[in-house]
Amino acid sequence: MCDAMESGSQGIISVRGLRKSFGRNEVLKGIDLDVSEGEVVSVIGPSGSGKSTLARCMCRLERVDCGSVSLCGLEVSSGRHRNGDIARLVGMIFQQFNLYPHLSVLQNITLSPVRTLGMSREEAEVLAYGLLAEVGMSDKASARPRQLSGGQQQRVAIARALAMHPRIMLFDEPTSALDPELVGEVLEVMARLAESGMTMVIITHEMTFARDVSDRVVFMDDGAIVEQGAPSVVFSNPQHARTRQFLQRLLVASGGGSVVRTGECVNGL
Amino acid sequence: MGFDFSLVIPRMGLFLDGALVTVETSAMALLFGSILGVVVGILRVVPLKPLQVLAACYIYVIRGTPALTQLFFIYFGLPSLGINLSGMASGVLGLSLNSAGYVGEIVRGGIEGVPAGQWEASRVLGLSYAKSMRFVILPQAVRSMLPAFGNEFVTLIKESSLLSTLAITELTMAGQQVRSVTYASFETFIVVGAIYLALTSITGFGLRFVEKKWNVV
Repeated sequence: MCDAMESGSQGIISVRGLRKSFGRNEVLKGIDLDVSEGEVVSVIGPSGSGKSTLARCMCRLERVDCGSVSLCGLEVSSGRHRNGDIARLVGMIFQQFNLYPHLSVLQNITLSPVRTLGMSREEAEVLAYGLLAEVGMSDKASARPRQLSGGQQQRVAIARALAMHPRIMLFDEPTSALDPELVGEVLEVMARLAESGMTMVIITHEMTFARDVSDRVVFMDDGAIVEQGAPSVVFSNPQHARTRQFLQRLLVASGGGSVVRTGECVNGL
Repeated sequence: MGFDFSLVIPRMGLFLDGALVTVETSAMALLFGSILGVVVGILRVVPLKPLQVLAACYIYVIRGTPALTQLFFIYFGLPSLGINLSGMASGVLGLSLNSAGYVGEIVRGGIEGVPAGQWEASRVLGLSYAKSMRFVILPQAVRSMLPAFGNEFVTLIKESSLLSTLAITELTMAGQQVRSVTYASFETFIVVGAIYLALTSITGFGLRFVEKKWNVV
Protein backbone atom coordinates (compact mmCIF):
# COMPACT_ATOMS: atom_id res chain seq x y z
CA MET A 1 0.00 0.00 0.00
CA CYS A 2 0.99 3.58 -0.44
CA ASP A 3 2.47 5.46 2.46
CA ALA A 4 0.62 7.92 4.64
CA MET A 5 1.58 10.63 2.16
CA GLU A 6 -0.97 9.30 -0.27
CA SER A 7 -3.46 11.95 -1.20
CA GLY A 8 -7.02 11.28 -2.18
CA SER A 9 -8.07 8.41 -4.37
CA GLN A 10 -5.37 8.89 -7.00
CA GLY A 11 -3.35 5.97 -8.17
CA ILE A 12 0.18 5.08 -7.17
CA ILE A 13 1.19 7.11 -10.22
CA SER A 14 -0.65 10.32 -10.91
CA VAL A 15 0.36 12.52 -13.82
CA ARG A 16 -1.51 15.81 -14.17
CA GLY A 17 -1.34 18.29 -17.05
CA LEU A 18 2.24 17.33 -17.84
CA ARG A 19 3.92 19.51 -20.42
CA LYS A 20 7.52 19.30 -21.57
CA SER A 21 9.38 21.08 -24.33
CA PHE A 22 12.90 20.74 -25.65
CA GLY A 23 13.65 24.18 -27.03
CA ARG A 24 10.69 25.04 -29.25
CA ASN A 25 9.69 21.45 -29.70
CA GLU A 26 6.80 20.61 -27.39
CA VAL A 27 7.16 16.89 -26.73
CA LEU A 28 4.42 16.43 -24.14
CA LYS A 29 1.29 18.51 -24.61
CA GLY A 30 -0.62 17.99 -21.42
CA ILE A 31 -0.61 14.39 -20.22
CA ASP A 32 -3.01 13.05 -17.59
CA LEU A 33 -2.43 9.51 -16.48
CA ASP A 34 -3.28 7.48 -13.40
CA VAL A 35 -1.91 4.06 -12.67
CA SER A 36 -3.21 2.06 -9.76
CA GLU A 37 -1.12 -0.19 -7.56
CA GLY A 38 -0.19 -3.47 -9.19
CA GLU A 39 -1.36 -2.33 -12.59
CA VAL A 40 0.74 -3.05 -15.68
CA VAL A 41 0.44 -0.34 -18.31
CA SER A 42 2.02 -0.53 -21.75
CA VAL A 43 2.58 2.72 -23.59
CA ILE A 44 2.72 2.36 -27.35
CA GLY A 45 2.93 4.83 -30.19
CA PRO A 46 5.13 6.01 -33.04
CA SER A 47 8.65 7.20 -32.29
CA GLY A 48 8.71 10.85 -31.39
CA SER A 49 5.31 10.61 -29.77
CA GLY A 50 6.75 11.48 -26.35
CA LYS A 51 6.51 8.04 -24.71
CA SER A 52 10.12 7.99 -23.52
CA THR A 53 9.96 11.58 -22.32
CA LEU A 54 6.88 10.68 -20.27
CA ALA A 55 8.76 7.83 -18.61
CA ARG A 56 11.79 10.06 -18.01
CA CYS A 57 9.61 12.73 -16.40
CA MET A 58 8.14 10.07 -14.11
CA CYS A 59 11.54 9.19 -12.67
CA ARG A 60 12.69 12.82 -12.73
CA LEU A 61 15.34 12.38 -15.39
CA GLU A 62 13.62 15.31 -17.08
CA ARG A 63 12.34 18.39 -15.33
CA VAL A 64 8.70 19.08 -16.17
CA ASP A 65 7.74 22.47 -17.58
CA CYS A 66 4.18 22.37 -16.39
CA GLY A 67 1.91 20.03 -14.48
CA SER A 68 2.95 17.42 -11.97
CA VAL A 69 4.01 13.84 -11.46
CA SER A 70 3.14 12.22 -8.14
CA LEU A 71 4.29 8.78 -7.06
CA CYS A 72 2.66 7.36 -3.95
CA GLY A 73 1.37 10.86 -3.27
CA LEU A 74 4.87 12.33 -3.36
CA GLU A 75 5.13 15.10 -5.92
CA VAL A 76 8.43 14.08 -7.47
CA SER A 77 8.25 16.77 -10.14
CA SER A 78 8.61 19.47 -7.48
CA GLY A 79 12.37 18.92 -7.47
CA ARG A 80 12.46 19.05 -3.68
CA HIS A 81 13.34 15.43 -3.13
CA ARG A 82 16.70 13.77 -3.06
CA ASN A 83 17.61 11.19 -5.69
CA GLY A 84 17.53 8.53 -2.98
CA ASP A 85 13.91 9.33 -2.10
CA ILE A 86 12.84 8.99 -5.73
CA ALA A 87 14.79 5.78 -6.21
CA ARG A 88 12.86 4.09 -3.43
CA LEU A 89 9.64 4.79 -5.30
CA VAL A 90 10.56 4.12 -8.90
CA GLY A 91 13.08 2.05 -10.82
CA MET A 92 13.95 2.70 -14.44
CA ILE A 93 15.12 0.27 -17.09
CA PHE A 94 16.86 1.80 -20.09
CA GLN A 95 17.01 0.72 -23.69
CA GLN A 96 20.82 0.68 -23.48
CA PHE A 97 20.93 -1.07 -20.05
CA ASN A 98 23.42 1.48 -18.68
CA LEU A 99 25.16 -0.97 -16.39
CA TYR A 100 28.32 0.37 -14.77
CA PRO A 101 31.08 -1.10 -16.96
CA HIS A 102 33.83 -0.75 -14.34
CA LEU A 103 31.99 -2.81 -11.73
CA SER A 104 31.12 -6.48 -11.53
CA VAL A 105 27.52 -7.60 -11.86
CA LEU A 106 27.34 -7.98 -8.08
CA GLN A 107 28.81 -4.52 -7.45
CA ASN A 108 26.42 -3.03 -9.99
CA ILE A 109 23.57 -4.23 -7.82
CA THR A 110 25.01 -3.48 -4.38
CA LEU A 111 26.30 0.05 -5.05
CA SER A 112 23.06 1.92 -4.45
CA PRO A 113 21.76 -0.12 -1.50
CA VAL A 114 25.12 0.32 0.24
CA ARG A 115 25.64 3.97 -0.65
CA THR A 116 22.12 5.33 -0.39
CA LEU A 117 20.14 2.94 1.82
CA GLY A 118 22.99 2.45 4.27
CA MET A 119 22.86 -1.31 3.90
CA SER A 120 25.91 -3.28 4.97
CA ARG A 121 27.94 -4.86 2.20
CA GLU A 122 27.07 -8.40 3.38
CA GLU A 123 23.37 -7.59 3.55
CA ALA A 124 23.45 -6.03 0.09
CA GLU A 125 25.25 -9.04 -1.37
CA VAL A 126 22.68 -11.43 0.04
CA LEU A 127 19.99 -9.26 -1.51
CA ALA A 128 21.90 -9.13 -4.81
CA TYR A 129 22.38 -12.90 -5.01
CA GLY A 130 18.67 -13.35 -4.37
CA LEU A 131 17.75 -10.96 -7.15
CA LEU A 132 20.29 -12.51 -9.53
CA ALA A 133 18.65 -15.86 -8.92
CA GLU A 134 15.28 -14.35 -9.75
CA VAL A 135 16.51 -13.09 -13.12
CA GLY A 136 18.48 -16.28 -13.78
CA MET A 137 21.92 -14.69 -13.58
CA SER A 138 23.36 -16.29 -10.43
CA ASP A 139 26.39 -17.71 -12.22
CA LYS A 140 27.45 -14.30 -13.54
CA ALA A 141 27.79 -12.41 -10.26
CA SER A 142 31.49 -11.74 -10.73
CA ALA A 143 31.34 -11.05 -14.46
CA ARG A 144 31.78 -7.61 -15.96
CA PRO A 145 28.91 -6.18 -18.02
CA ARG A 146 30.90 -6.31 -21.25
CA GLN A 147 31.22 -10.07 -20.88
CA LEU A 148 27.45 -10.47 -21.00
CA SER A 149 25.01 -10.56 -23.88
CA GLY A 150 22.50 -7.75 -24.22
CA GLY A 151 19.72 -9.87 -22.79
CA GLN A 152 21.85 -10.81 -19.79
CA GLN A 153 22.81 -7.19 -19.24
CA GLN A 154 19.20 -6.12 -19.26
CA ARG A 155 18.27 -8.82 -16.75
CA VAL A 156 21.07 -7.60 -14.48
CA ALA A 157 19.77 -4.05 -14.93
CA ILE A 158 16.35 -5.24 -13.76
CA ALA A 159 17.90 -6.91 -10.70
CA ARG A 160 19.86 -3.73 -10.01
CA ALA A 161 16.72 -1.60 -10.10
CA LEU A 162 14.82 -4.03 -7.88
CA ALA A 163 17.55 -3.86 -5.25
CA MET A 164 16.24 -0.43 -4.27
CA HIS A 165 12.83 -2.03 -3.56
CA PRO A 166 10.96 0.42 -5.76
CA ARG A 167 7.17 0.50 -5.70
CA ILE A 168 7.02 1.16 -9.43
CA MET A 169 9.12 -0.04 -12.34
CA LEU A 170 9.44 1.92 -15.57
CA PHE A 171 10.74 0.26 -18.72
CA ASP A 172 11.87 2.49 -21.58
CA GLU A 173 11.93 0.22 -24.62
CA PRO A 174 13.76 -2.49 -22.67
CA THR A 175 14.15 -4.86 -25.62
CA SER A 176 14.68 -2.43 -28.49
CA ALA A 177 18.48 -2.71 -28.40
CA LEU A 178 18.48 -6.50 -28.22
CA ASP A 179 19.11 -9.08 -30.88
CA PRO A 180 15.77 -10.74 -31.66
CA GLU A 181 16.73 -14.06 -30.09
CA LEU A 182 17.50 -12.34 -26.77
CA VAL A 183 14.20 -10.48 -26.45
CA GLY A 184 12.36 -13.44 -24.99
CA GLU A 185 14.49 -13.90 -21.88
CA VAL A 186 14.00 -10.26 -20.88
CA LEU A 187 10.26 -10.29 -21.53
CA GLU A 188 10.00 -13.47 -19.49
CA VAL A 189 11.59 -11.76 -16.48
CA MET A 190 9.25 -8.81 -16.95
CA ALA A 191 6.21 -11.05 -17.17
CA ARG A 192 7.17 -12.72 -13.89
CA LEU A 193 7.64 -9.33 -12.30
CA ALA A 194 4.18 -8.32 -13.49
CA GLU A 195 2.71 -11.49 -12.03
CA SER A 196 4.33 -10.73 -8.70
CA GLY A 197 2.18 -7.62 -8.46
CA MET A 198 4.71 -4.93 -9.35
CA THR A 199 3.26 -1.71 -10.72
CA MET A 200 4.79 -1.35 -14.16
CA VAL A 201 4.79 1.19 -16.96
CA ILE A 202 6.33 -0.22 -20.10
CA ILE A 203 7.24 1.84 -23.14
CA THR A 204 7.37 -0.80 -25.82
CA HIS A 205 7.12 -1.83 -29.44
CA GLU A 206 6.47 -5.45 -28.45
CA MET A 207 2.77 -5.57 -29.25
CA THR A 208 2.32 -9.22 -28.40
CA PHE A 209 3.84 -8.66 -25.00
CA ALA A 210 1.75 -5.53 -24.46
CA ARG A 211 -1.36 -7.50 -25.28
CA ASP A 212 -0.53 -10.54 -23.19
CA VAL A 213 0.94 -9.00 -20.07
CA SER A 214 -0.55 -5.55 -19.58
CA ASP A 215 -3.80 -4.61 -17.91
CA ARG A 216 -4.04 -1.46 -19.95
CA VAL A 217 -2.59 -0.13 -23.17
CA VAL A 218 -2.03 3.58 -23.67
CA PHE A 219 -1.59 4.84 -27.21
CA MET A 220 0.34 8.09 -27.53
CA ASP A 221 0.84 10.24 -30.58
CA ASP A 222 2.30 13.70 -31.00
CA GLY A 223 2.74 14.36 -27.29
CA ALA A 224 -0.74 13.37 -26.20
CA ILE A 225 -2.60 10.27 -25.08
CA VAL A 226 -4.92 9.47 -27.95
CA GLU A 227 -6.64 6.45 -26.52
CA GLN A 228 -6.31 3.90 -23.76
CA GLY A 229 -8.04 0.84 -22.52
CA ALA A 230 -7.82 -2.89 -22.07
CA PRO A 231 -5.44 -4.46 -24.60
CA SER A 232 -8.26 -6.46 -26.14
CA VAL A 233 -10.14 -3.26 -26.88
CA VAL A 234 -7.24 -1.10 -28.07
CA PHE A 235 -5.74 -3.78 -30.29
CA SER A 236 -8.87 -5.36 -31.74
CA ASN A 237 -11.18 -2.41 -31.83
CA PRO A 238 -9.22 0.86 -31.76
CA GLN A 239 -11.51 3.86 -31.54
CA HIS A 240 -9.27 6.46 -33.11
CA ALA A 241 -8.07 6.73 -36.67
CA ARG A 242 -4.53 7.43 -35.53
CA THR A 243 -4.43 4.28 -33.43
CA ARG A 244 -5.72 2.25 -36.36
CA GLN A 245 -3.13 3.83 -38.64
CA PHE A 246 -0.32 3.04 -36.22
CA LEU A 247 -1.35 -0.58 -35.80
CA GLN A 248 -1.83 -0.93 -39.55
CA ARG A 249 1.64 0.41 -40.20
CA LEU A 250 3.09 -2.08 -37.75
CA LEU A 251 1.25 -4.84 -39.55
CA VAL A 252 2.61 -3.81 -42.92
CA ALA A 253 6.09 -3.17 -41.61
CA SER A 254 6.55 -6.54 -39.95
CA GLY A 255 7.19 -9.42 -42.26
CA GLY A 256 6.60 -13.18 -42.22
CA GLY A 257 5.58 -14.86 -39.01
CA SER A 258 5.24 -11.70 -37.04
CA VAL A 259 2.52 -10.49 -39.39
CA VAL A 260 0.44 -13.35 -38.09
CA ARG A 261 1.28 -12.42 -34.52
CA THR A 262 0.57 -8.76 -35.00
CA GLY A 263 -2.46 -9.70 -37.01
CA GLU A 264 -3.70 -11.58 -33.98
CA CYS A 265 -3.21 -8.42 -31.98
CA VAL A 266 -5.35 -6.38 -34.27
CA ASN A 267 -8.03 -8.85 -35.23
CA GLY A 268 -7.76 -11.94 -33.16
CA LEU A 269 -8.97 -10.73 -29.79
CA MET B 1 88.15 16.63 -33.01
CA GLY B 2 87.51 14.03 -30.37
CA PHE B 3 85.07 13.98 -27.56
CA ASP B 4 86.29 13.20 -24.13
CA PHE B 5 83.83 11.80 -21.63
CA SER B 6 86.61 11.18 -19.12
CA LEU B 7 86.04 14.60 -17.58
CA VAL B 8 82.29 14.08 -17.30
CA ILE B 9 82.01 10.48 -16.15
CA PRO B 10 83.76 10.99 -12.78
CA ARG B 11 81.10 13.61 -11.99
CA MET B 12 78.27 11.15 -12.51
CA GLY B 13 77.36 11.59 -8.83
CA LEU B 14 76.46 15.22 -9.50
CA PHE B 15 74.25 14.23 -12.42
CA LEU B 16 72.49 11.57 -10.40
CA ASP B 17 71.94 13.95 -7.48
CA GLY B 18 70.44 16.38 -9.97
CA ALA B 19 68.32 13.67 -11.52
CA LEU B 20 67.04 12.75 -8.07
CA VAL B 21 65.95 16.36 -7.49
CA THR B 22 64.30 16.35 -10.91
CA VAL B 23 62.35 13.21 -10.04
CA GLU B 24 61.42 14.53 -6.60
CA THR B 25 60.21 17.89 -7.79
CA SER B 26 58.27 16.53 -10.74
CA ALA B 27 56.72 13.78 -8.62
CA MET B 28 55.62 16.33 -6.02
CA ALA B 29 54.31 18.62 -8.74
CA LEU B 30 52.48 15.69 -10.28
CA LEU B 31 50.90 14.79 -6.94
CA PHE B 32 49.80 18.30 -5.99
CA GLY B 33 49.02 19.22 -9.57
CA SER B 34 46.83 16.14 -9.96
CA ILE B 35 44.92 16.78 -6.76
CA LEU B 36 44.31 20.41 -7.66
CA GLY B 37 43.74 19.46 -11.29
CA VAL B 38 41.00 16.97 -10.38
CA VAL B 39 39.33 19.72 -8.34
CA VAL B 40 39.64 22.18 -11.23
CA GLY B 41 38.35 19.58 -13.68
CA ILE B 42 35.34 18.75 -11.51
CA LEU B 43 34.54 22.42 -10.94
CA ARG B 44 34.68 22.80 -14.70
CA VAL B 45 31.71 20.42 -15.12
CA VAL B 46 29.77 20.95 -11.88
CA PRO B 47 26.32 22.34 -12.72
CA LEU B 48 27.02 25.67 -11.00
CA LYS B 49 27.90 28.46 -13.39
CA PRO B 50 30.16 30.58 -11.11
CA LEU B 51 32.36 27.59 -10.28
CA GLN B 52 32.56 26.61 -13.94
CA VAL B 53 33.64 30.13 -14.87
CA LEU B 54 36.20 30.23 -12.06
CA ALA B 55 37.78 26.96 -13.20
CA ALA B 56 37.67 28.05 -16.84
CA CYS B 57 39.49 31.29 -15.98
CA TYR B 58 42.16 29.38 -14.09
CA ILE B 59 42.76 27.03 -17.01
CA TYR B 60 42.73 29.98 -19.42
CA VAL B 61 45.43 31.88 -17.53
CA ILE B 62 47.63 28.85 -16.82
CA ARG B 63 47.55 27.57 -20.37
CA GLY B 64 47.90 31.01 -21.91
CA THR B 65 51.09 32.06 -20.12
CA PRO B 66 54.56 30.50 -20.14
CA ALA B 67 55.46 28.23 -17.24
CA LEU B 68 58.69 30.18 -16.79
CA THR B 69 56.75 33.43 -16.39
CA GLN B 70 54.56 31.73 -13.78
CA LEU B 71 57.63 30.55 -11.87
CA PHE B 72 59.21 34.02 -11.95
CA PHE B 73 55.95 35.55 -10.80
CA ILE B 74 55.86 33.28 -7.76
CA TYR B 75 59.56 33.55 -6.93
CA PHE B 76 60.24 37.20 -7.75
CA GLY B 77 56.74 38.70 -7.83
CA LEU B 78 54.98 37.34 -4.77
CA PRO B 79 57.49 38.80 -2.27
CA SER B 80 55.91 42.17 -3.13
CA LEU B 81 52.82 40.84 -1.39
CA GLY B 82 54.90 39.71 1.54
CA ILE B 83 54.93 36.09 0.39
CA ASN B 84 58.52 34.89 0.40
CA LEU B 85 59.02 31.35 -0.76
CA SER B 86 62.27 29.49 -1.15
CA GLY B 87 63.39 28.52 -4.62
CA MET B 88 62.33 24.95 -4.00
CA ALA B 89 58.91 25.90 -2.64
CA SER B 90 58.34 28.35 -5.49
CA GLY B 91 59.42 25.76 -8.01
CA VAL B 92 57.19 22.98 -6.77
CA LEU B 93 54.26 25.36 -6.26
CA GLY B 94 54.69 26.84 -9.72
CA LEU B 95 54.94 23.49 -11.47
CA SER B 96 51.96 22.17 -9.48
CA LEU B 97 49.75 25.14 -10.32
CA ASN B 98 50.84 24.90 -13.93
CA SER B 99 50.20 21.18 -14.12
CA ALA B 100 46.79 21.60 -12.47
CA GLY B 101 45.65 23.70 -15.41
CA TYR B 102 46.46 20.96 -17.87
CA VAL B 103 45.25 18.13 -15.63
CA GLY B 104 42.02 20.08 -15.16
CA GLU B 105 41.40 19.94 -18.88
CA ILE B 106 42.27 16.25 -18.97
CA VAL B 107 39.83 15.54 -16.13
CA ARG B 108 37.09 17.60 -17.73
CA GLY B 109 37.56 15.70 -20.98
CA GLY B 110 37.52 12.40 -19.15
CA ILE B 111 34.34 13.21 -17.24
CA GLU B 112 32.57 14.50 -20.31
CA GLY B 113 33.59 11.37 -22.16
CA VAL B 114 31.55 9.15 -19.82
CA PRO B 115 28.22 8.44 -21.55
CA ALA B 116 25.20 10.38 -20.29
CA GLY B 117 23.48 7.06 -19.60
CA GLN B 118 25.85 6.46 -16.69
CA TRP B 119 24.74 9.69 -15.01
CA GLU B 120 21.13 8.78 -15.64
CA ALA B 121 21.45 5.27 -14.29
CA SER B 122 23.22 6.34 -11.11
CA ARG B 123 20.70 9.11 -10.62
CA VAL B 124 17.60 6.95 -10.91
CA LEU B 125 19.33 4.47 -8.62
CA GLY B 126 19.37 7.15 -5.96
CA LEU B 127 22.97 8.34 -5.93
CA SER B 128 23.48 12.05 -5.29
CA TYR B 129 25.54 14.11 -7.73
CA ALA B 130 28.64 13.77 -5.55
CA LYS B 131 28.22 10.01 -5.10
CA SER B 132 27.57 9.50 -8.80
CA MET B 133 30.74 11.40 -9.52
CA ARG B 134 32.77 9.45 -7.00
CA PHE B 135 31.56 5.90 -7.55
CA VAL B 136 30.37 5.85 -11.14
CA ILE B 137 31.76 8.69 -13.26
CA LEU B 138 35.30 9.34 -12.02
CA PRO B 139 36.40 5.68 -11.93
CA GLN B 140 35.41 5.39 -15.58
CA ALA B 141 36.86 8.78 -16.48
CA VAL B 142 40.23 7.94 -14.89
CA ARG B 143 40.70 4.98 -17.19
CA SER B 144 40.29 7.14 -20.27
CA MET B 145 42.46 9.84 -18.73
CA LEU B 146 45.49 7.64 -18.06
CA PRO B 147 47.34 8.16 -21.36
CA ALA B 148 46.97 11.94 -21.09
CA PHE B 149 48.06 11.74 -17.45
CA GLY B 150 51.18 9.90 -18.56
CA ASN B 151 51.98 12.62 -21.06
CA GLU B 152 51.53 15.19 -18.33
CA PHE B 153 54.07 13.41 -16.11
CA VAL B 154 56.55 13.30 -18.96
CA THR B 155 55.95 16.99 -19.61
CA LEU B 156 56.51 17.75 -15.93
CA ILE B 157 59.84 15.93 -15.89
CA LYS B 158 60.97 18.04 -18.80
CA GLU B 159 59.53 21.31 -17.51
CA SER B 160 61.20 20.82 -14.14
CA SER B 161 64.37 21.91 -15.96
CA LEU B 162 62.94 25.43 -15.59
CA LEU B 163 63.71 25.17 -11.88
CA SER B 164 67.37 25.64 -12.78
CA THR B 165 66.50 29.32 -13.17
CA LEU B 166 65.51 29.41 -9.48
CA ALA B 167 68.96 28.15 -8.44
CA ILE B 168 67.73 24.64 -7.75
CA THR B 169 70.29 22.00 -8.53
CA GLU B 170 68.12 19.67 -10.54
CA LEU B 171 69.48 17.78 -13.52
CA THR B 172 69.89 20.69 -15.95
CA MET B 173 71.49 22.85 -13.26
CA ALA B 174 73.84 19.99 -12.38
CA GLY B 175 74.80 19.92 -16.05
CA GLN B 176 75.55 23.64 -15.95
CA GLN B 177 77.80 23.13 -12.95
CA VAL B 178 79.69 20.26 -14.52
CA ARG B 179 80.05 22.22 -17.74
CA SER B 180 81.41 25.29 -15.95
CA VAL B 181 84.10 23.20 -14.30
CA THR B 182 85.05 20.90 -17.14
CA TYR B 183 84.20 23.05 -20.19
CA ALA B 184 83.05 19.78 -21.77
CA SER B 185 79.73 21.25 -22.87
CA PHE B 186 78.98 18.75 -25.58
CA GLU B 187 79.62 15.68 -23.45
CA THR B 188 77.84 17.16 -20.45
CA PHE B 189 74.57 17.81 -22.18
CA ILE B 190 74.69 14.52 -24.03
CA VAL B 191 74.71 12.89 -20.61
CA VAL B 192 72.01 15.22 -19.27
CA GLY B 193 69.83 14.52 -22.28
CA ALA B 194 70.37 10.79 -21.96
CA ILE B 195 69.29 10.86 -18.32
CA TYR B 196 66.14 12.83 -19.17
CA LEU B 197 65.38 10.35 -21.91
CA ALA B 198 65.82 7.48 -19.47
CA LEU B 199 63.49 9.15 -16.95
CA THR B 200 60.77 9.88 -19.49
CA SER B 201 61.08 6.40 -20.99
CA ILE B 202 60.74 4.70 -17.63
CA THR B 203 57.71 6.87 -16.85
CA GLY B 204 56.12 6.10 -20.18
CA PHE B 205 56.80 2.41 -19.78
CA GLY B 206 55.41 2.37 -16.24
CA LEU B 207 52.23 4.10 -17.29
CA ARG B 208 51.62 1.78 -20.20
CA PHE B 209 51.97 -1.07 -17.74
CA VAL B 210 49.38 0.48 -15.41
CA GLU B 211 47.06 1.16 -18.35
CA LYS B 212 47.22 -2.43 -19.46
CA LYS B 213 46.65 -3.75 -15.99
CA TRP B 214 43.70 -1.44 -15.47
CA ASN B 215 42.09 -2.17 -18.77
CA VAL B 216 41.90 -5.89 -18.16
CA VAL B 217 38.22 -6.24 -17.36
